[in-house]
Amino acid sequence: MRPNVNTAFWYLIFSALLLILFLSNLWYGSVLIPWHKVMSVLSGNVNEAETARVIVLEYRLPQAVTSLATGIALGVAGLLLQTLFRNPLAGPSVLGISSGASLGVALVVLLGAGVGYDVLSSGNPFSEVGLVAAALLGALVVLMIILFVSNRVGNVVTVLIIGIMIGYAVSAVVGMLQFFSRAEELHAYVLWGLGSFSKTNWQQSVFLLLTALLGILLTLFLLKPMNGLLLGDHYARSIGINVRNVKSFMILIAGLLIAVSTAFTGPIAFVGLAVPHLAKGFFRTSNHRILIPAVILMGGSLTLFCNLVAKLPGYDTSLPINAVTSMIGAPVVVYVIVKRGRMKKA
Amino acid sequence: MNIERVDEKVEIRNLSTGFRRKKGGPRILHQGLNLVLNRGEVVCILGPNGAGKSTLLRTMLGFEKALGGKILFSDQPLDELSVKELSRKVSVVLTDKIDDFYLTVFEVALTGRYPYGSFSGKPTREDISLVTDTFQKVGVLQLAGQVFYKLSDGEKQKVMIARAIVQDTPFIFLDEPVAYVDPPGKIAIMHLLKDLSVELNKGILVATHDLESALNYSDELWLLGTDRKWRKGKAAELVESGLINEFFDREAISFNKKNHRFEWKEMRKRENPALKGGETDG
Repeated sequence: MRPNVNTAFWYLIFSALLLILFLSNLWYGSVLIPWHKVMSVLSGNVNEAETARVIVLEYRLPQAVTSLATGIALGVAGLLLQTLFRNPLAGPSVLGISSGASLGVALVVLLGAGVGYDVLSSGNPFSEVGLVAAALLGALVVLMIILFVSNRVGNVVTVLIIGIMIGYAVSAVVGMLQFFSRAEELHAYVLWGLGSFSKTNWQQSVFLLLTALLGILLTLFLLKPMNGLLLGDHYARSIGINVRNVKSFMILIAGLLIAVSTAFTGPIAFVGLAVPHLAKGFFRTSNHRILIPAVILMGGSLTLFCNLVAKLPGYDTSLPINAVTSMIGAPVVVYVIVKRGRMKKA
Repeated sequence: MNIERVDEKVEIRNLSTGFRRKKGGPRILHQGLNLVLNRGEVVCILGPNGAGKSTLLRTMLGFEKALGGKILFSDQPLDELSVKELSRKVSVVLTDKIDDFYLTVFEVALTGRYPYGSFSGKPTREDISLVTDTFQKVGVLQLAGQVFYKLSDGEKQKVMIARAIVQDTPFIFLDEPVAYVDPPGKIAIMHLLKDLSVELNKGILVATHDLESALNYSDELWLLGTDRKWRKGKAAELVESGLINEFFDREAISFNKKNHRFEWKEMRKRENPALKGGETDG
């Protein structure tokens, strides 16, 4: 077992990294604002130039908070899913859970427009509730299907393929919905579907962060039973864990985290899958007591880093965030599959 | 029979095991089972493949629903016990695979303390010293820091038995603990189980198709056959009466009472015509 001092030391390093990345997100962008001005704006100095204040406070800060919250939410959700399914390849996007949330959003956006229910135009608080609720419903439905299937087949790769098929099926349904919807809503939905950390306003980003914190708080109640679940359902039960209740609770938390983040940022690929593996690989443990803080710090850092990379070209518009997260996430999936293959041979 | 303290046995009354099917009635494996597992004894559930050994064991743990009858822990019916309560009465060694990448041997064993631990599950100093002492006793201390899935099958079984010991329950149920273990390993494991029953006064139930271990180490055998038949008794009696032979009945194969081995009938006849008939028919 790794001594605690060591773990604490690395937490500190990753916290520092997270802070640096967060501040970098406020500083870096298409418009150059020097460090001291950024700091001055942040410290509430109203005498700074109006443009600097607007750019930092109205654009970059919500975007950074959204990136951070999404990284945390998806990272924690991914860890929950991997433990829930005892499947190292489980994650919000690969299992089709993000797709489920997307379908919920598509139904509300594309069909809702037909009955005069305009969701993606901001400013209507009720519409946000509808959006989140629809995403949550979609995510939970897919989670239930996947859980049902995985209880029956139990094979890691089979479950993965079914998740991918669900993704295709959802795309098909969305495709049909698009056929019947107006260009305006279609445009809004397609933009949402590309994924972005920059479309959230202040309230949304804070709401997202609070949801992520709520998810973490709830997960803290599950540390012990989740560690027990690593041995499998039967062993978990034999040491006094109420497996069905714990799993239902895990599904709800993961569903909530995925749904809320997906509703506001669009589906973000691979973060939920990659972050838990980075944490497990780095700390060489499956102990959730160590992993939860690690996933929070690394997840937040990863999305903040991806957001920085997306802004690198330096134009008004940034790279699609999914292109960046996939560049980092896809190799992780390959690594896990290769490693598993080697492990089975050994 | 001696008068037992009520909390010292697991009792099976008129139990039926098997599976509920979607179509047709349930598929019954055995019915009318009346069996008792006392503390301080090793009982082996013995039978050929597919006889329902694991099903009986799993039914006694509440993993499978009984088709009828009762299972009593200390006179308390199994289905009235919470998962938490049961975890303080019986610990298990199952055939389920633990294939996590990073779980260490020590971490696996520490889960045995979950029924007693705090809400957070953080191991106490007592938990850690208990696991260390038990590892020492079982002879796996040198493995403590290793990753569990990389161990050999024999090592894994020993660690899982250590885990069952630290769970500190009056009973331990084991499903095929020596199935993939080499002969010296088998003897070591069965010896260990026997010691546990004597020294720590545990009631040990072992489902196995390994006849040799069962005959040499059990205080009582529960013989399960196909066709719903079952018997219980001391190993020596069941061998002497020829019942073992009946339960493992295969054409051309029979059980030799003298050396406790299965033999190929035709071969024995050819090699030693004097043995023809007689004892092989029991």
